[in-house]
Amino acid sequence: MTTRGTQQVVDMFQRISLAVSAEKGRLSELDGAIGDADHGITMARGFAAVTKALSAADLQALFPSDVFRMAATTFLDAVGASTGPLYATALSDAAQAVSGHRDLDTTAQAELVTAMASGIMRRGKGDRGEKTMLDAWIPAAEAAARAQARGAQAGDMWSDILAAATAGADATRSMIAARGRALRLGERSLGHLDPGAASAVIILEAMRETFTAA
Amino acid sequence: MVNKILPTKRVPGNKAPISEISGSMPLRFGDDPYVWACWLYYEDGRTQGEVADIMGISRATVNSYLADARSRGIVNISLEPKRLSSLALAQHVKHHFGLDDCLVVPSDDGARSLIDRLGAAGGQALSKLLKSGDTLAVAWGRTVLAVADHVAVSPLQDVTIVQATGGTRADFAYTPELCAAALADATGARLVNLTAPALVRSREAREIILQEPLVEDQFKALSRANKALFGISSLRPHSTIHSSGFFESVSIQDYLSKNAVGVVAGRFLDGQGLPIEGPLDERTIGISLDALKAVSMRIAVAGGFDKVPAILAGLRGGYISVLVTDAATASAILSADGVPPASAKPLVRQRSQDVAPAPIPLRSQVKKFLNDADEVVEEMLEGLLAAHASHIVPIGSSNRALVAKDGPRTGKVGLVIGGGAGHEPCFFGYVGKGLVDAVAIGNVFSSPPPGPILECTRAASGGEGVLYVYGNYAGDVMNFEMAAEMAQMEGIEVCTVLTTDDIASSSLEDREGRRGVAGNVFVFKIAGAACDRGLSLAACEAVTRRANERTFTMGIALEPSAMPQTRRHNFEIGPDDMEIGVGIHGERGVTRESIAPADEIVDRIIDQIFREMRPEPGDRVAVLVNSFGGTPLMELYILFRRVEQRLSARGIGIEANWIGHYCTSLDMVGASISILHLDAQLTDLLHHACDGVALHVV
Repeated sequence: MTTRGTQQVVDMFQRISLAVSAEKGRLSELDGAIGDADHGITMARGFAAVTKALSAADLQALFPSDVFRMAATTFLDAVGASTGPLYATALSDAAQAVSGHRDLDTTAQAELVTAMASGIMRRGKGDRGEKTMLDAWIPAAEAAARAQARGAQAGDMWSDILAAATAGADATRSMIAARGRALRLGERSLGHLDPGAASAVIILEAMRETFTAA
Repeated sequence: MVNKILPTKRVPGNKAPISEISGSMPLRFGDDPYVWACWLYYEDGRTQGEVADIMGISRATVNSYLADARSRGIVNISLEPKRLSSLALAQHVKHHFGLDDCLVVPSDDGARSLIDRLGAAGGQALSKLLKSGDTLAVAWGRTVLAVADHVAVSPLQDVTIVQATGGTRADFAYTPELCAAALADATGARLVNLTAPALVRSREAREIILQEPLVEDQFKALSRANKALFGISSLRPHSTIHSSGFFESVSIQDYLSKNAVGVVAGRFLDGQGLPIEGPLDERTIGISLDALKAVSMRIAVAGGFDKVPAILAGLRGGYISVLVTDAATASAILSADGVPPASAKPLVRQRSQDVAPAPIPLRSQVKKFLNDADEVVEEMLEGLLAAHASHIVPIGSSNRALVAKDGPRTGKVGLVIGGGAGHEPCFFGYVGKGLVDAVAIGNVFSSPPPGPILECTRAASGGEGVLYVYGNYAGDVMNFEMAAEMAQMEGIEVCTVLTTDDIASSSLEDREGRRGVAGNVFVFKIAGAACDRGLSLAACEAVTRRANERTFTMGIALEPSAMPQTRRHNFEIGPDDMEIGVGIHGERGVTRESIAPADEIVDRIIDQIFREMRPEPGDRVAVLVNSFGGTPLMELYILFRRVEQRLSARGIGIEANWIGHYCTSLDMVGASISILHLDAQLTDLLHHACDGVALHVV
């Protein structure tokens, strides 16, 4: 029998893939303003490869952490670029965070978010305020930790995470890029939403839908 | 491929003459011009021009009324529910299994048999997918024969149909021979039969037959197949596989005991799509599962509840890239694969309300020579490998890691470069004897992942270590660093030089933070020569680093580039503007100014290069005037003319000049100027003989 946790993670990647591919055009538009206009294409390609690999996998033999690990490798191989190593590290850190779990309770879900954020920080040697995906991921991780500390239910925790990530992403409009291709634009990057932060919100939204579905 | 089912306007036969009602609104519409416009357009089937005449308004107003009516919900366009659900199912199956395409025929209307409906859909699909020059491998079965009955292609040239399995007894109508012949007949193709039995009595018999020159030729034709058409057989008790006599029932039991669920092209698969070994393998003559998987388009036509596990096995095993099936089977496949029925609904997703959508400016798309925008890199690689097989070959099964045919050798430092596609002839053009040993290629403007870089490292390694040279971009750095860590774990020493020649990308104080652009071609050349001369890894690294430090580049764009996937400009440059300090990824530059005469543009670049380079009279340089893709040689020579004037005015000698497409940014219009400030060793290495596709020094 496939464990509920494993099924949920597979479901989560399906939702992420659908959501990212639905927003592909908008993400690439955002990237066109300050980068090389391929962020949507890259993310959609990566997560489509993940769902394809998962559809071929024998889920009964897998723990949730195995699914995250598979997703990490597949995403990296399909994408390269900077998002490849960043999300591959995020996903393999997530795998470690839930290693041994069969089900993903609210605590495990919170740990997923914090592990992903810290994986991206480690690989990209980045921090908040640099107009990157971390401006969504770091506030999301902090919201998850706060919700855990006060013993919040899943629905409550995820709406906090989403609100924090969204506010963080919106704040990138007022930032000057300190990393990536947009760095070269200097103050010309002002006023533009960072595409990596925007896609982080889409991913977190799909995670919320997964873990709060009845 | 998608069903061509569009909302149809109802067009009644009798239209009222325009003059009769022109100008005044009939009472039944109240005073709502939106409803009137919609009625005329959708119900009466008028054109927008006619509606404008009738209502006495402009055509543009009609257009905006109609658009507003849609968004205000006055008009709802609906597809017939059955058709809509089959479209949504096809999209879902395609997405879930990562297929190239999926066609789902609407659920049964009772009038035609499933085989007939699948045949019609398969025929429709094949009519679209089969192209001139194709070699189509054809398996056998009732469904395949039904496809042949329905296929209708416009005249094609040089199509070959190859029978994919050996022959069977002619006890039934859908033998391999007949299926292949019927398809060849329907498509006007050349037919290659496999004149051997599908199943022979012994392994020895199989070996003898396969060695027959005639059969060998037929297998050669089969190996050229770029498309395949096959059905999928279930192993349930009433399946045709039992009655066809293709297999002996004894053998089938053996496979069933090993959890076989289906048969594809005469080969058995388990539930996960893994091949099952069994007694028939060494006696079967026909396309192998590996060979089938290597065919680039694999069209499966199959339907029926009994076949769900078998189709699922074919999908999971990656044997199918295009699936033609019916609605009931498609939803059964999805639910059998654990997709909750709720998400099998039409995929309409609410936009996240919290992130405001960016306004999408109105732009036109750029024209490009494309088949499938998602396959541009693969198709380019196939073409360039076919063109340059004398210089470069793939290392493994993927074309994303290429090695120089006459490059790596024992005792030489290996040189590996790489980067995104879209910069052609960068980076593959600099791979060859006396140049780079191996190159890893990513997606358009995206670094390759560590996998292919590691493959390149192994292929380039001659025991003396490997040098990586690539542009200073966050993505490339992360991926190459990961590959270097893996290579070091395998005992291959790796050194890295990042190219940072773009002087516009940041200030002199932040030299290490600059990005690598067209000047990296100079750095590759020097590094390649140093490696070929047999210098140590440390010496190669040192001279390569010096070449990078002494290379200065600046670029100007006149028009932006467009990604193949979007065919839209990445940003816009005003009609009288130019973008100064652009890189090679279609990104914006540093500033935007009014366009100036060519000489002034060159002066501006040369002034800035001289400020950093501080040349003395008598110095020697190499010059690269590089097109970003869209600027012709004529203009490059106009630029070079001024570059030469400025250099000679300073008393600087030109040792080499390279003018052309060396490092592009897709179709960006613009150019960059790079200058390599030579010293004695760099001059010597610059003239070292090399033979790459894009760079040849004798």
